[in-house]
Amino acid sequence: MATKLIGERIKRKEDPRLITGTASYVDDIKLPNVHHVAFLRSIYGHAKINKIDVSEARKLPGVVAVLTHDDIKGVLKPMPCVGGVPDMHTPEHYPLSGGKVRFVGEAIAAVVANDRYVARDALDLINVDYEPLPVVVDMEKALEKGAPLLYEEYGENRGFTWKISGGDIDKAFQEADRVVKLRLVNQRVAPIPLETRAVLAQYQDRGVEGELTVWTSTQIPHGIRTSIAGMLNLPEHRVRVIAPEVGGGFGCKVDFYGEEVLIPYLAMKLKVPVKWVEGRRENIQATDHGRDQINYIEAAVKNDGTVVGLRVKVLADMGAYYQLLSPVIPTLTGLMMCGPYKISNVSMEVLGVFTNKMATDAYRGAGRPEATYLLERTMDAIAAELNLDPVEVRMKNFIQPNEFPYKTATGLVYDSGNYQAALQKALDHVGYTKLREEQKKLREQGQYVGIGISSYVEICAFGPSAATATGGWESATVRIEPTGKVTVLTGSSPHGQGQETTFAQIVADGLGLTMEDITVQHGDTAVVQYGIGTFGSRATAVGGTAVYLALQKVKEKATKFAAHMLKVDSKGLVFRDGKIFPENNPEKSVTLTEVALAAYLAKDLPPDTEPGLVATAFYEPKNFTFPFGTHIAVVDIDPETGQIKFRRYVAVDDCGNIINMLTVHGQVHGGIAQGLGQALYEEVVYDENGQLLTGSFMDYCIPKAHHLPKFELDYTVTPTNVNPLGVKGVGEAGTIGSTPAVVNAVIDALAHLGVRNIDMPLKPEKIWKTIKEHAPKKGPIIVA
Amino acid sequence: MIPAAFEYLVPTTLDEALSALSTHTDAKILAGGHSLIPAMKLRLASPKYLIDISRISDLNYVRESGGQILIGAGTTHYQIESSTLLKEKCPLLTETAPYIGDVQVRNRGTLGGSLAHADPAADWPAAILAVGAEINVRSSRGERTLKAEDFFVDMMTTALQPNEILTEIRIPIPPQRTGSAYEKVKQPASGFALVGVAVQITLDTNRTCQRVQVGITGLAPKPFRAIGVENMLKGKVINDQLLAQAAEKAADGVDPLSDIHASAEYRSHLARVHTKRALQRAVSRI
Amino acid sequence: MRIEGNHTLKGKPEKVWNTLTDPEILAKCLPGCEKLEKTEEDTYKATLNMGIGSIKGTYTGQVKLVDKQPYSSFKMIVEGKGGPGFVKGEGILNLQEQNDHTLITYQGDAQVGGTIASVGQRMIQASAKMIIGQFFTALDMLQEQQPPSSETSSGGAPSGSSSPPPNFFFKVTLRYLWNELKKILRIKN
Repeated sequence: MATKLIGERIKRKEDPRLITGTASYVDDIKLPNVHHVAFLRSIYGHAKINKIDVSEARKLPGVVAVLTHDDIKGVLKPMPCVGGVPDMHTPEHYPLSGGKVRFVGEAIAAVVANDRYVARDALDLINVDYEPLPVVVDMEKALEKGAPLLYEEYGENRGFTWKISGGDIDKAFQEADRVVKLRLVNQRVAPIPLETRAVLAQYQDRGVEGELTVWTSTQIPHGIRTSIAGMLNLPEHRVRVIAPEVGGGFGCKVDFYGEEVLIPYLAMKLKVPVKWVEGRRENIQATDHGRDQINYIEAAVKNDGTVVGLRVKVLADMGAYYQLLSPVIPTLTGLMMCGPYKISNVSMEVLGVFTNKMATDAYRGAGRPEATYLLERTMDAIAAELNLDPVEVRMKNFIQPNEFPYKTATGLVYDSGNYQAALQKALDHVGYTKLREEQKKLREQGQYVGIGISSYVEICAFGPSAATATGGWESATVRIEPTGKVTVLTGSSPHGQGQETTFAQIVADGLGLTMEDITVQHGDTAVVQYGIGTFGSRATAVGGTAVYLALQKVKEKATKFAAHMLKVDSKGLVFRDGKIFPENNPEKSVTLTEVALAAYLAKDLPPDTEPGLVATAFYEPKNFTFPFGTHIAVVDIDPETGQIKFRRYVAVDDCGNIINMLTVHGQVHGGIAQGLGQALYEEVVYDENGQLLTGSFMDYCIPKAHHLPKFELDYTVTPTNVNPLGVKGVGEAGTIGSTPAVVNAVIDALAHLGVRNIDMPLKPEKIWKTIKEHAPKKGPIIVA
Repeated sequence: MIPAAFEYLVPTTLDEALSALSTHTDAKILAGGHSLIPAMKLRLASPKYLIDISRISDLNYVRESGGQILIGAGTTHYQIESSTLLKEKCPLLTETAPYIGDVQVRNRGTLGGSLAHADPAADWPAAILAVGAEINVRSSRGERTLKAEDFFVDMMTTALQPNEILTEIRIPIPPQRTGSAYEKVKQPASGFALVGVAVQITLDTNRTCQRVQVGITGLAPKPFRAIGVENMLKGKVINDQLLAQAAEKAADGVDPLSDIHASAEYRSHLARVHTKRALQRAVSRI
Repeated sequence: MRIEGNHTLKGKPEKVWNTLTDPEILAKCLPGCEKLEKTEEDTYKATLNMGIGSIKGTYTGQVKLVDKQPYSSFKMIVEGKGGPGFVKGEGILNLQEQNDHTLITYQGDAQVGGTIASVGQRMIQASAKMIIGQFFTALDMLQEQQPPSSETSSGGAPSGSSSPPPNFFFKVTLRYLWNELKKILRIKN
C-alpha cells in the first residue's frame, strides 16, 4: 500500500462546517407543521403513582395530545436490553412509566403541542398524585437485609451475579507473602455530550406503504432502525433512520431510549412530524450515567512485588432499570482485570445492584477504565506496602514483549504489545529519576509534589460477533463514480471521530487520489448498507478495515479494466496521482476517470466482468485489539488548602499504526480531559431521598480548558496483526489512562504522610481533611 | 429550559422604568439577565413583567467626581475590567472583574444587576464592601443612598424596596499608600466563589494601618465585612505575623454555608487562609 | 436535611402554645402564606408563596399539627408542591418555661424535591434557616403588636381581615435581618 496520506496530520474535512455553524444537527432540521414534545418526569426517587390527571393540560390551546403509561400499555413493547448476563432479574420498563417510579427523571407523561413553549406550559398543568416510598441510593445499603426494594417481586435489589476466574486463586493466596487490600469507589459520572439527545420523526402515509423517517442523535442508526421496526411492528424496509451531525456520544448514545420509539409512535399516531430535544437538565437526569462501581480488592503478592493473584468483588450500580447494555458493562471490567500484567490467578465476582437512580450504561471506556483504575491503584498500593518504586512493581509484573500473542487468565488473547517501551518512553520524557529526587527535596521543605503513573491495556475494536452483544462486524462500500470521484459508505456512523477524513485517507492512498476526490457518507440507513456503529474504539480498526477490504475489491476490478484498456497484464499495475500504470512503465497509463467511465459506459468490458465500479465488504474481525500506554501526571498540592495544581502531564499511547496524527491527538486530548474530570471534578450526586443534587452545570463539573494541564503526548507504534491496517483504536485510551495517573499522583504527593487512598473525585476539601487528620498520628489513612 | 410567558417592557429613561415598576406588580428589572434569565428558564422565577433597563444609556458610565468614582448600575463587568480610570484609582475592581463568569458573561452582566441579585457567592459584593462603596437607589418618589454593608441583608435579599432601582455605585477614591487584592477559590462547576476575599488596606509610612476593609463572599448567606479582622489591624504596625493572626478572625460570628462542594468547616478555613493571602498581597502592593 | 434550632418568645408556655397552635396566627406567620383553610381538626390546606429574592414559587399543600401535648410539645408537618417541586418538612417543637419567657426548641427533617433540589442545592439549607427565622420573627412582631387573644375561634378560617397587612413580611424580614446583621457585626443596641 502506498503511504502518502496515512500517518499524516490531515485537517479534518468535517471541521469547516462544524466551526462555521453550518452543520445540521437534529434540532436544525425544520419540517413544516412540526409538533413538539415535553416530558413530565418524576420528582421522586421512589413513589407509587396513584393517579395522573392530565385533563387540564389537554385543555390548553395548542396541546394536541397528552400521553401516560395507560395510553401506551399494550401498544408499545417494553424497552429491550441486549447486553444481558445469565440468570438476571430483568425488570420491564416502558417509554412512559406507570404504577411506580424508581428514579428522579423517569418519564411519566408526554405532552405534544404545536409549539415548544405550549408543550412546556402544559407540564405545569398535569397533576400527579405520588405516594412516596422509601428510597435506596447506596449500593451497599441496597444489599442489606430490610433495604427498601425496587422490585418487591425479586425479594432483593441484586439484579445479577456474574463471575469470572482463571488459574488457582486460593493457591495463589496461600503462596503469597502478603495480601494488599483496597476498597475503591469508582463514582457515578454523566457522559455530557455537547449535543443532548434529540429525536425528530415524520410518517408519510402512502396508502398501504407508509414510510417512517426518524432523525436521532445516535451512535447506532441501523440498530435503532431495527429496534423501532420491532417495537412498532413496522416492516424494517419502510423505516429510515438518520443520524445527522451528532454532537458527541461518549457511549451514552449506543443505546435505544424510550424517547426514540415514543416520538416515532406519536408521529404515526398524530400524523404530524414530532420533535423532541432534550434539555440539559433532562440530559443529566435521564441519559445514561457511567461507572458507579465499588471494588473490594485483594492482591496476593510476593515480597519482591510479583502479583501472584488478584481477587476482586465488584458492586456495579445498575440504577433503576437496565438500558440496552447495562449488565454487560461491568463484565468488561472482569475480562480486563489482568491489565498489562502477568497475573495468572484471578477471580472476580460482579453483583449488579438496583438503586433509585438513573441507569448506568456505556461511558467512554465502559468497564475498562474501572479495570485500569483498580489495577493501577493496586499497583501503587503494593509499591507503598513493600516500599518499592511504583515503576519497579509495574516492570516486574508486565507481560514480556516476546510473549505475544498472550493469553490472559481471563481467556483473552492480547494481540501485540510492548508495555515496557511505553512506560520507559514516558519516564524518559518526564525525567522520572530527577523528579523523584526533586520530590524528596521539596518534601523536606514542606512542599507536596506527587508523581502518578498509570500503565494500561484496553480491549477495543469490538469485536468478534460471537463476543459482542450487537454483532461485531462492520460494513463499507467503495463506489468509484463514472467521473472517477469516489463515494465511500460506512456503517460506522460517527459522532465526532472524523471518519470522513480518516476513511478518505485510506481510500485516497489506495486509489492514488487526493482527499478532495473522496467523500464519506454515513448515518442514513436509506443510503448506507447495514452497519453496526461507532463505539468501543472500533471505527478505524473494524469500520476502517471494512473500507480497506471494499477498496481492495474495487481496486481489483479497476485493475482489470485498466489492464484491458492498456492491453497489459494486470499484475504490477499501480494507482498513483489519479492514474493507473505498470510500475515499470509509468508512461503507459490510463486515468482512473477513464477507467471509471469505461466501466460505466460498458462498451468494451473485459472478459467475465460486470459493468460498474462498486464493491461492498462486511468485515468480521477475528479478535479484539489491545492498545496500551502509560500516562504520568505530576501535581503540586497546596498543603494549606488541598488545592491541586498540575506540573506536568505526559502520555505515551500505542494504538498501533496511526492513520491521522491530528485526530489521534484530538482523541487523546479529549480522553484525558474526561478521565481527569472523573479523577478531580465529576460526580453525579443523589441525596438519601434520591434527589439528584448535581442537576445542572452549576453543580455538575465537567472540566473546562483552564482546569487542564498542557498535554505532552508521544507514541510508540506496535501494530496489530488482527487487521490489515495494523490499527488498534484510540477513542477511549485517554480516558482509561488518565484517571489513575491523576489519582496516583495526588496519593503519591501525600504518601509520606502514610496516605494510601482517597476516593474520587479528589476534591480539595477531602485532601485538606486527609492532611489535617493525619498530622497528629501516623499510619495509613483511608478517606471514603 | 423554557420560561413561562411574560410581558416585556423596554423603557428608555430611568423615569419611565421607575414608573413602570410602580404601576406593575410582579415586575422584575432585567439588566444583563445573567441571573434572572436562567432562573426564569428553570421556572424558579416567573415574573409577569420584565422591565429591561439595558437601553437606558445614563446608567452606563464610570467617572470621577468630587473624590469619588461613580459607576452607573448598568455598567458591564467588562467595562469595569477595562476601565483605565478604575485601574489607576481603584484597582480592586479591575482585579475582581475577570474572576466573574467568562467573557460572554462579562460582556452582558452588569455591576448593578449582580449587586441587586445578591447571590451569596457573587464576586462583586466582596469588592464593593472592601472599597467602602455607597449604593444609590431610586424610586418614583425619590432617592436614597445606602452603605454597602447595609445594602446586603440576607441571601439574595437586599435593602432594595420593590419599587426601587439601583442606579449608581459610589466609591471613595482611596488615599495614597493603599493596597488591595482579591483572592478567590472557585467552585469548579459554576465558577462562583466557594470563598472570595477582597481587601483594601491603607498604611502610613511607618506601616501603621490607617484603614482596612475586608469583604468576604461565598462563606455566609450574604457577603459581609470581616470586622474582627479589621479591628485587629487598625492602628497597628503591620507585619506578616499580625496579618496571619488577624486573618484567623475571618469566619468569626458567621453562619457558614455548606453544600456538596464545601462544608461549612472547609469554607471557614478557606476564608481564613485566603484572607491572610489577600492581606499579604494587598500590603505588598503598597 | 436536618433542621434544628431554638427561639425564645415572650410569655409563659400556655400563652405561647395558644399562639403557635392558632391557625389565624399561623397564617400570619408562615412565610408567604396566602391561604390557610381548615380541612379537619388540626389540619389546614395552605397556599404558600415562598421564595428567596427573585426565586419564588407557589406551593399548595397542607399544614398539620399532630402529637399535641398541650403547653409542652407538638409536631408540625408542612407539605407543599408546586411548579418548582415539592417541600416536605416535619419537626417537633418543644416549649419550655424560662423566666416568663418560653424557649422553643425545634428539630426535624426537611425534604426538597424537583427543580429546586437539582439546581439549588447550595442554597437550600440557608433558605430553610432563613424561612424559619422569618416565621419566628413574625411571631415576635405579632406578640409585640397585639398579644394573641384567647378568644380566637380555633375553627375559623382566616378571613381577609386577618391576612397579613401589606408589607408585613417585608418589615418582618427586615427586622429579622437587622437582628442577624447586628449579631454578625456585633453591634450592640
